[in-house]
Amino acid sequence: MELYAPILVLAVLAAGFAIFSVTIAPFTGPRRWNRAKLDAYECGIEPTPQPVGGGRFPLKYMITAMLFIVFDIEIIFLYPWAVAFDQLGMFGLVEMVLFIVTVLVAYAYVWRRKGLDWD
Amino acid sequence: MTTHYLVLSALLFAIGGIGVLVRRNAIVVFMCVELMLNACNLAFVTFARQHGNLDGQLIAFFVMVVAAAEVVIGLAIIVMIFRTRRSASVDDANLLKY
Amino acid sequence: MNGGTIEAPTIEYALLAPMLIVFGAAIIGVLVEAFAPRHLRKAIHMPLTLVALLGAFLLTILQAVRDGVPTTPAAMGAVAVDGPALFIWGIILILAFVSTLLINDDEQFVAQAAAVPGSNDEEEAVRSGYAQTEVYPLLLFSVGGMLLFPAANDLLVMFVALEVLSLPLYLLCGLARRRRLLSQEASLKYFLLGAFSSAFFLYGTALIYGYAGSIDLRAISSSLGTVAGQDTLLYIGTALLGVGLLFKIGAAPFQAWKPDVYQGAPTAVTALMASTVLVAAFGAVLRVFWVALGNLDWDWRPVMWGVAILTMVVGAILAITQTEIKRMLAYSSIAHAGFLLTGVIATGAVEQNRDALSAILFYLAAYGFTTVGAFAVVTMVRDAGGEAGHLSRWAGLGKRAPVLAGIFAFFLLAFAGIPLTSGFFGKYAVFSAAVASDALPLVVVGVVSSAIAAFFYVRVIVLMFFSEPAADGPSVAVPTVGTSAVVALAAAATVVLGVFPEPVLSLADQAASALFVR
Repeated sequence: MELYAPILVLAVLAAGFAIFSVTIAPFTGPRRWNRAKLDAYECGIEPTPQPVGGGRFPLKYMITAMLFIVFDIEIIFLYPWAVAFDQLGMFGLVEMVLFIVTVLVAYAYVWRRKGLDWD
Repeated sequence: MTTHYLVLSALLFAIGGIGVLVRRNAIVVFMCVELMLNACNLAFVTFARQHGNLDGQLIAFFVMVVAAAEVVIGLAIIVMIFRTRRSASVDDANLLKY
Repeated sequence: MNGGTIEAPTIEYALLAPMLIVFGAAIIGVLVEAFAPRHLRKAIHMPLTLVALLGAFLLTILQAVRDGVPTTPAAMGAVAVDGPALFIWGIILILAFVSTLLINDDEQFVAQAAAVPGSNDEEEAVRSGYAQTEVYPLLLFSVGGMLLFPAANDLLVMFVALEVLSLPLYLLCGLARRRRLLSQEASLKYFLLGAFSSAFFLYGTALIYGYAGSIDLRAISSSLGTVAGQDTLLYIGTALLGVGLLFKIGAAPFQAWKPDVYQGAPTAVTALMASTVLVAAFGAVLRVFWVALGNLDWDWRPVMWGVAILTMVVGAILAITQTEIKRMLAYSSIAHAGFLLTGVIATGAVEQNRDALSAILFYLAAYGFTTVGAFAVVTMVRDAGGEAGHLSRWAGLGKRAPVLAGIFAFFLLAFAGIPLTSGFFGKYAVFSAAVASDALPLVVVGVVSSAIAAFFYVRVIVLMFFSEPAADGPSVAVPTVGTSAVVALAAAATVVLGVFPEPVLSLADQAASALFVR
């Protein structure tokens, strides 16, 4: 039973966070209604009439997609490390921190070059 | 049992290879290259299963990361070309020749 | 597989230090790009890059002198820092240092890569007076990959190094300030063909892994002949691996990208590529074919013969038909890849391997310096619209700028392998190693194509010195300190290696004495 205690604690924490966020949001968040918000929900982007046969997407979609791919894929290395975390010990931790710092440098570059701005 | 997977992997690799040679749109050519990399991944995990060691699965991870980096570089280059010429056809890229 | 213990690996950081310095500097370079104001970036990048390359070079020397050559691979058998690897690191780092001085010239690089050629954006970017400074971190990343590539002791590390080496180069190719359409096209071609070839390399790795159950070069070597009924996997795997590697050195029939890319890329980048990539790639070729597949040499040698002959002949003959100076140098580089391949084939007993290896190492050093020098000269001969690429524009250059034309003529003679230049000893060493391993026909083809090659080198020299300069001929740009330093250094190296090659030859001998670690 003790084995499952951490999982239970994690579940409680997760549920607590979710409930807290949802209940607190209406009180703390700003309320600004506009047409897009009142529109039917598609994907979060304002629905626009599409030309027949597709048409081109603005370049910023591609930049977002590329950034997503790069940062998403880095997670691959975290899984095996997490599984063998205990056995790898300090060495694994230091190496992983170095790895994440390296990725963070790339992130800083993207941020400073306004790669994260939509407009 | 693993033979089927290897045959599939070889087929995917061949489809990708032929695609690179016959398709004309740079994006499609590039997608075919990615297909070839995925064929490699399938072969790696199949052999890992066959040999009973984890090397192959580990390699597949690295290949995925490298492929992602390659996608980003490749798309950047192709988009750059497209914006200049309004075309991503490899046939239009014909200025360099003797 | 389940519940097995995993031990934390040991990594010999000291041995890998040169590589780590280069990568570390590259990452700092990215931070500079992110946080430093635009007008300061170049002032920070330049010393950072040079100091990193120099520091890595000094560490490499220190390692070779003080610690001697390690006898086991480092980092759990993933990286082999042995004699040949240290020698190759030394060459790559010097050549990269020299190329960096060349890259320092702003005229070469685009003001803003994202601006469409001919648009208002571009005009504005040019008027701002800046150039794209990402060049420096990209260069460092690429050099880091080049250091890892010839030292990789398993095929996965080699693949990752191959990509780290190539990806920044694809981008660098597309950054030329003048003739941007050509530059972008070169970038696209290089990228598509490079990605295609690396897929072949990877599938070859997969099949060899299927055969041997390991990707470690030593394990592959010891598994040869022990696995029954799987020879097909091994042969196809070897062939695919070979395609990937031969593409990188530009051996025929995989040479198609070389002229296009050399012509389209900014000339400073071409200088870097033409010299260092060949060095790094030959290190990897040797490691794969000698260490992993050395016991299979009866099977791969005939094919290699064909490739080497084809490469020498194609390089030499097509070079004659060229009218563009950078394309001509590209075909010359293809021919030289062929000459070097004769050295790769010249295996035999241990003694024989040593001679061949030391010959290849010397050749790489000699060829690298001459190449950087030749491309540095090309950057200086300019028309109104940038560099004067067409050979006809070079007519009479000897009368307009005798010193420059003289130096260029000297580089061309070194390419041709005339005695008293570095090229002579390189060729002599490689060919004599080939003769010793009974590859006489190969040497005959090599000598004949050298003669053909000499014809077009001499043709350019005649054009420069014995024809009348055109009235509106190209001007010779006043070289920056960096460019003149590069030309002077390359010329000096070509003379010294040609007249007094003994120190470098004996260094190459020492580096080759223990062959590759296993």
